[in-house]
Amino acid sequence: MALRVPVNLRQNLSVVLYAFQALSIGAVVVGLASLLLLPLDEYSRRTYISENALLPGQVHAYFGGSEQNIVRAFRREVESLGNSTSNVVAERIAEIFRSANLKVGTQRYSYKAAGGSYTGENVYAVLHAPRGDATEAIVLCAPWKNIDHILNEGGVALTLALSRYFKRWSLWSKDIIFVISSDARAGPQAWVDAYHDLHGPNVQSLSVKSGAIQGVVVVDYPGGRFESLHIMYDGINGQLPNLDLINTAVQISRDQMGLRTDLQEMWDHKDTYNHRLKTMLRGMVNQALGHSTGPHSSFIPYHIDAITLATHGEGWHDEGSLGRTVESVFRSLNNLLEHFHQSFFFYLLMAPKRFVSIGTYLPSAMLVAVGLTLTAIRLWVDPRSRSKVEVEEVVVKTDEKKGEKSEGGKVVVDTVIDSGPKRQLFLPLSIVIGAHFCGVIPFAVFNWIDYKSMANVFYIFIVVSVAFPTLLSGLITLTTSENRLLPTFHLARCFSLLFLGMFLSTLATVNFSLSFLIGLFSLPLMFARPTPTSVPLALLNSILLQLTSPFAALFIVAGYWGLGVEDILKEASFGWWVWGMWTPVIVWCVWWPAWVVGRISVDASFVMSVTRKGRS
Amino acid sequence: MDRKCLLVIGVGVLLRLVLFTAFPSLPTILAQRVEISTPVTSYKRLQEGLYLYTHGVSPYDGGVFHQAPLLLSLFSILPASTISTNLLYILADLSSAVSLIQIASSRVAAITPRHVSPRKDNVWPPWAIAAAFLFNPFSIATCIARPTIVFTNTIVLHSIAAAVQGRRGPAFVSLAMASYLSLYPILLFLPLLMVTYDCSNAASKPSIQTFSIVTTVLFTSVLLIYLKLSHILTGSWEFIASTYGVSLLLPDLTPNVGLWWYFFIEMFDSFRAFFLCLFQLHLFIYVPGTCLRLQKQPLFALTTLVGIISIFKSYPAIGDTALYLSLLAVHNHIFPLMRYTFFLAAAILYATFLGPAFYYLWVYAGSGNANFFYAITLVWSIVNALIVADALYAVLRDEHETERPELIGKDVVQI
Repeated sequence: MALRVPVNLRQNLSVVLYAFQALSIGAVVVGLASLLLLPLDEYSRRTYISENALLPGQVHAYFGGSEQNIVRAFRREVESLGNSTSNVVAERIAEIFRSANLKVGTQRYSYKAAGGSYTGENVYAVLHAPRGDATEAIVLCAPWKNIDHILNEGGVALTLALSRYFKRWSLWSKDIIFVISSDARAGPQAWVDAYHDLHGPNVQSLSVKSGAIQGVVVVDYPGGRFESLHIMYDGINGQLPNLDLINTAVQISRDQMGLRTDLQEMWDHKDTYNHRLKTMLRGMVNQALGHSTGPHSSFIPYHIDAITLATHGEGWHDEGSLGRTVESVFRSLNNLLEHFHQSFFFYLLMAPKRFVSIGTYLPSAMLVAVGLTLTAIRLWVDPRSRSKVEVEEVVVKTDEKKGEKSEGGKVVVDTVIDSGPKRQLFLPLSIVIGAHFCGVIPFAVFNWIDYKSMANVFYIFIVVSVAFPTLLSGLITLTTSENRLLPTFHLARCFSLLFLGMFLSTLATVNFSLSFLIGLFSLPLMFARPTPTSVPLALLNSILLQLTSPFAALFIVAGYWGLGVEDILKEASFGWWVWGMWTPVIVWCVWWPAWVVGRISVDASFVMSVTRKGRS
Repeated sequence: MDRKCLLVIGVGVLLRLVLFTAFPSLPTILAQRVEISTPVTSYKRLQEGLYLYTHGVSPYDGGVFHQAPLLLSLFSILPASTISTNLLYILADLSSAVSLIQIASSRVAAITPRHVSPRKDNVWPPWAIAAAFLFNPFSIATCIARPTIVFTNTIVLHSIAAAVQGRRGPAFVSLAMASYLSLYPILLFLPLLMVTYDCSNAASKPSIQTFSIVTTVLFTSVLLIYLKLSHILTGSWEFIASTYGVSLLLPDLTPNVGLWWYFFIEMFDSFRAFFLCLFQLHLFIYVPGTCLRLQKQPLFALTTLVGIISIFKSYPAIGDTALYLSLLAVHNHIFPLMRYTFFLAAAILYATFLGPAFYYLWVYAGSGNANFFYAITLVWSIVNALIVADALYAVLRDEHETERPELIGKDVVQI
């Protein structure tokens, strides 16, 4: 039933090869272009509340009036504790919680990463729901110092005031836990790990617990009067909270409280194409790095939906508006009948009320990965992947297909069967697998060394990883026989791209942005081939590869935040040890090896042009 | 066995030892993967059964343990340390490798009494086949996770190795053991009979009828002895329902890489019995057809059946695929005739990566659902089915070229 194609594709292989090349380039171009289309009205959607039980903004919020005086009093208290050690702070806060008739617990923790030590003491209180059975809880968290290490005066004071205020209401159906974490990065992680009994010996267990946590709101409010609310939502490893939680917060603060909301530090969002794109790209960078953007990030890997509400700017809103917003969000969370599940878990936000869901944006990352895979298939089909047989010219010339023999029938059947050029898989496979195993070395080194020596080690590592592929390709070129040489590099590229494409498409289902950005940086690998006849082209390829290497990406990230590379590496090491952040593994064990294989192929052209090998 | 074989085996054993000792938490992590451990093979469940057994309670009480009683007696005489257990599993893999070397050295794959492949000189050396088994990530992961499928695989391979040497007794005693341990190898009886008959000593060969009758009697009586032994060990016949009953009736719907669990979760109870029979019969119907069509190459018929069982059995795991792939490697002379090698290798790799990712999205991240993982197990099964089909095509093509050498290299079109 096979279709008879008028052109025999096996004999006109170049048609297939060009088609594949066009397809793979086309896939990448379409993938990139479709990402740029996303902010348009036709592709993005307005957000909407999917879970009807939430009823955001349907209740009147009563926080204000005399409660504000209590907040101010607590603020004075926090100010006076300002620079005390964390156990003094914890003791005092515990006292305040106890005076409000709440069950109180404290927890010490200490983490070690990149030669530094991170210790502190969290304090928390549980309000048992008058109408609940302690199977579910919601969390209000305020870090003592926020992510920029500024004393979170207003946030802590507001949390303390709200704990007294909430205690008076009889309508709670879920327990409320008030957490004052010692800092914004390690503290929440220690607390949430211990809450689920998944902590190490460096973290104390929790003495008081409640039910399954349904939602978390973090208050980050260091200043006085403020202009707008900044909603932060990125979790560790690029996981996101359910979109309903963000929508609830946005709807309550904008429509009920008249508070402007900002996303991704876009303080002046005009809802134009440019601003939408910028918001989306900033969100993607945060997601790709997979780091913590606030105390909420640590909760998200436990499938707990969490956001941080941070105040921004100078304006006329005060603790009353923020308190009412938090109160209203908590009333909505209190309404939840089951865990957040209705709305999206995979989305890109481009304005507080505009988003694209996974179905719309996933194809762009997938197409980039598909482009790499198609290139790998093309390289495999290409007759240049086969080594010429060394014997003699008797063996057919038109044999692009295995098992084919000359029509003349001069040759004895036994010797011709399955003869002809074969793919030699051993060396290319060893190169690719070896490169991936070598990825463990930088990963281990950067996670175990001290912060002080990080910069030096990093520069040494750049030099090594620039020189090492060149040396290796020289070695391979000099030791491999001429007819096997080009096919070896050809197949090494094929396997490397196949693996990269496969990994990126898998990654795209878990962390879209990381997959997309690595895919983008890896595009030159599609064209990185040995060009023994043209040294300038090889030089160009080599430079292009250097510019899109993992190191270049690291410098770009460092420049984006105005930090040194050693700070980024320190953050990565901290992320691995404290948060369980996977980004360094992916960079060093997936991306870097693929890049090394690309470099080996390109650099081989220099050695070949010197030794005049592989020019035929 | 030459030096290269010994070297390969040594490195393979060393690799497993290193993995066991350098990453002590790895066995526990892998043992929890649904792709590797199934309800009828899981090491965790074995420990549960062993605990009950050594404390004088029936191991099948509680409905967690579904493995054969003789495994319990094996593990209860073993010193209760992790090292000895690990060594036992390594030993099992070593024995599998030795069996594969014996199968490869016999060259039955390419040369049988009724068929000599024109590609008989292109066969890989035995050490390469042992390496293909020992360094296959699927068999390594299976060995480290310690499901009891490792023993079934070893015994099946041992039985085939005995069969290709024409040793009927060991071959069928082993096959009876494999069937006793995990039921489905019983389907390999017919092709194994053919292999043994083909390979037995030509001078003293009885007629096929007597040969089959004697073998059937031998196989059945050995199987009955195993069952009786189990009865004596556990003191009741309860184990039959808890082991074979579970494989046949599928009461435990834990996800795995197979096609059954999702289907039977979705099904209305009134249709359950019908589809259970259908699914089991479906496995059985491949046996006569495969054995008839491939009667000139019974070892390949056996390999194909192993592949089909690994796709369609009730609780498959990647260990079953590992067994099929290592047996397929014995037939490597037909690889050049396979049409989709690169595509299939890429697809199987894709499924290997996407499977755990989708399982993570479903079970841990909560952002996916069961359909994600089921979709990828479908892909996995389709790829495996395509490998079986493509290998079958290649073997038939090879056979065809022996019959009509003038057609070598011509296109074949199905009409």
